[in-house]
Amino acid sequence: MSLTEIMSAAGLTLYPIVALVLFLFAFAIVLARVLNKRDANALEQHAHIPLEDDTLTKQNGGAP
Amino acid sequence: MTATTAPTLPREHNDAHAGPMEKFVYDDAIVRKFMLAMLVWGFVGMLVGLIIALQLAVPQLNFGLEFLGYGRLRPLHTNAVIFAFAGNAIFTGVYYSTQRLCKTRMWSDTLSNLHFWGWQAIIVSAALTLPLGITSGKEYAELEWPIDIAIALVWLGCFGVNFTMTLIKRRERHMYVALWFYIASLVTVTVLHVFNSLEMPASLFKSYSVYAGVQDAFMQWWYGHNAVAFFLTTPFLGMMYYFVPKAADKPVYSYRLSIVHFWSLVFIYIWAGPHHLHYTALPQWASTLGMIFSVMLWMPSWGGMINGLLTLRGAWNKVAQDPILKFFVVAITFYGMSTFEGPMLSIKSVNSLSHYTDWTIAHVHGGALGWNGFMAFGMLYYLLPRLFQTQLWSRKLMTYHFWIGTIGIVLYIVSMYTAGIMQGLMWRFFDESGKLQYDFVETVTAIQPLYWIRAIGGLLFLSGVVMAGVNFFMTWKHRPAVYDEPVHEAPALSALYTDPPQPASRLTANTEFGHQGDVVLQGWWHRVWERRPVKFTVMTLAAVVVASLFEQIPLFLIRSNVPSIASVKPYTPLELYGRDIYIAEGCYNCHSQMIRPIFAEVKRYGEYSKPGEFVYDHPFQWGSRRTGPDLAREGGLRSHDWHVRHLEDPRQLIPQSIMPTYAHLLKQDIDFESIQARVRANAMIGVPYGESVKDGVAPQQAREQAKQIAGDLVKQGGYEGLETKKVIALDAYLQRLGTDLFKPADAPAPDKAVSAAQPQKGGTP
Repeated sequence: MSLTEIMSAAGLTLYPIVALVLFLFAFAIVLARVLNKRDANALEQHAHIPLEDDTLTKQNGGAP
Repeated sequence: MTATTAPTLPREHNDAHAGPMEKFVYDDAIVRKFMLAMLVWGFVGMLVGLIIALQLAVPQLNFGLEFLGYGRLRPLHTNAVIFAFAGNAIFTGVYYSTQRLCKTRMWSDTLSNLHFWGWQAIIVSAALTLPLGITSGKEYAELEWPIDIAIALVWLGCFGVNFTMTLIKRRERHMYVALWFYIASLVTVTVLHVFNSLEMPASLFKSYSVYAGVQDAFMQWWYGHNAVAFFLTTPFLGMMYYFVPKAADKPVYSYRLSIVHFWSLVFIYIWAGPHHLHYTALPQWASTLGMIFSVMLWMPSWGGMINGLLTLRGAWNKVAQDPILKFFVVAITFYGMSTFEGPMLSIKSVNSLSHYTDWTIAHVHGGALGWNGFMAFGMLYYLLPRLFQTQLWSRKLMTYHFWIGTIGIVLYIVSMYTAGIMQGLMWRFFDESGKLQYDFVETVTAIQPLYWIRAIGGLLFLSGVVMAGVNFFMTWKHRPAVYDEPVHEAPALSALYTDPPQPASRLTANTEFGHQGDVVLQGWWHRVWERRPVKFTVMTLAAVVVASLFEQIPLFLIRSNVPSIASVKPYTPLELYGRDIYIAEGCYNCHSQMIRPIFAEVKRYGEYSKPGEFVYDHPFQWGSRRTGPDLAREGGLRSHDWHVRHLEDPRQLIPQSIMPTYAHLLKQDIDFESIQARVRANAMIGVPYGESVKDGVAPQQAREQAKQIAGDLVKQGGYEGLETKKVIALDAYLQRLGTDLFKPADAPAPDKAVSAAQPQKGGTP
């Protein structure tokens, strides 16, 4: 019996719908992490990372 | 410089466990190279786009030269603007921002440069092979197998390794969200490219997709849609999350929202591809699944758009004064428009009208010109003074670029929306006697004026690119004799660092499962991922791969998804060669081979297409746009003589036709000896060619069929002496299209199928 025959007989038509539910569940967990209020300060700090490029210590290293 | 004050929570480099201070210099030379390449290829790609836009208005503009034909240049345009312009824009943004977000130089200068030169070599090879008709015939993945291998090596081996090692060697513990988007792009594009490009080579420049028909279509649009997602969306979102805060000098509006934005795109986008195949021979469950996930994409996409726009809260006065912010605002607005329109077009009832029309072209260009183009140019103008260490040469020219580009986009998309909706409605319009109101060519003639407006819009946008080029050159000209390379200092990540301990459950009375669930919901595990690039990359890859497998395994392994049809047989060797000509000339860019089960369509083209009709189609040729009519049931509709004369010059039979001439096919010889390798390559991937795979059999069969068709052609009053010319092979293929469905199940086997090329229903139009 080939793999195709096994899969065809396995009744997997609901398979993608189950996956949809699983993915929504995984997404809900991520949402829970994001809405965790204890992280507010850290998240605010992370948001500022791009703005810190220019506050790094700089020295003139190259030629003028 | 910063107008806002960062919170005072101690960061790792401020705390007791920070590593020793280290000095480093950013590699901006590589960013300058990618930025120049972005501009140059952007000009080339958009110029080719303008040329083919004009060819649709004036078909003679290919000057009768085969390598300037629409079908060959359109893939060059799409590949150039996607992989050359947008690709180099991505690398410009990634190389600049990654170094700064990680507080480190790129891990390897050698890999950076190999990446740059390797990518440019790939672009040049695409620019040479596509006009020569060397193509695998799958939209947005046309490049042949040696170039596919080069892409995988450069993308993963040079860019992927260098980027990942830079993350590992970073000096900022938390990976900023822009880096997450870059990670998702890296891993997903790798998976998409590798699996969609699995091909069986027949020669150095010819291969066949290992997938056939329905499955090939599914793989192609899994790739095609997610190339939009993970090449044209996620990396640009990463750039948005870095460059918009930098340009506005304000942190992103909501970091929480950016996390939701990221994971929802990763979880949802990968499923949406089948919405490109509504009402086709794809199983309905797959099509519906694609539609549902596409509609679900609307909310997170708009969350991201709102996050980008609200980053400018309290800074709108800057937008009024700063053209860079104007570019970004329009780009984000187009992102919002495109991500609203995309889910709308994925709804089946809307798609039945929009599909195969210029509505799709309008949608694509709103995203490409507005979102990708303006993000790239906003970034360019932000970087020019910083990378060339001098003032931008002309702020006024930058402003002109913004306005001329914006007007160009509006002209382009409004004309294409109008053309698309108008033609879609005309295709399904019946007169009072129940007949179709319009011939196909009348629907083409009706939208001709709109093609001119589109060309004007494209010309304006291209003019803006020229302005950017002038500004680039003049700014570069005023650069210092030697670039200053500031040495930065930041503490290394401490080797003593340990992740915070797993939190305790907040519940007082519950089951063990409940306590575990509460711990998971506190999200500590995600905070750990955010500090671990390899783990984060693996988890992102897992999300993408698992979703893909959930969708693909049933389609590939459940037999009922592609019911076989006993009368459908492989193409004869000559028809296979003719099909290769069809692919090489890029006919699929204008003609579909998929009749949807829609009344007006069946009325116009005949019996709707069945999945089992395409089981030997490596690759599938369903197309995505009907600039010309569908050809799924073309076989036997017209005489050989009609096809030959039509290919020689379409306007000698249909004066209003905008199809290019293919007179060269009447002069060029069939390479009969190459047919054996083509047949064998198809046999290797499951096409039952029987005796035809034996040495010399396939070319002999092809010669016999060509001689027979050429004889019939002469009897029909056609040209003499064409039995060795390519036009005969292409005619043989066209005469076979869609005919097997109506043959008895015991039709001749392919090795005896010379007569199969005979028209089933003769007659000239």
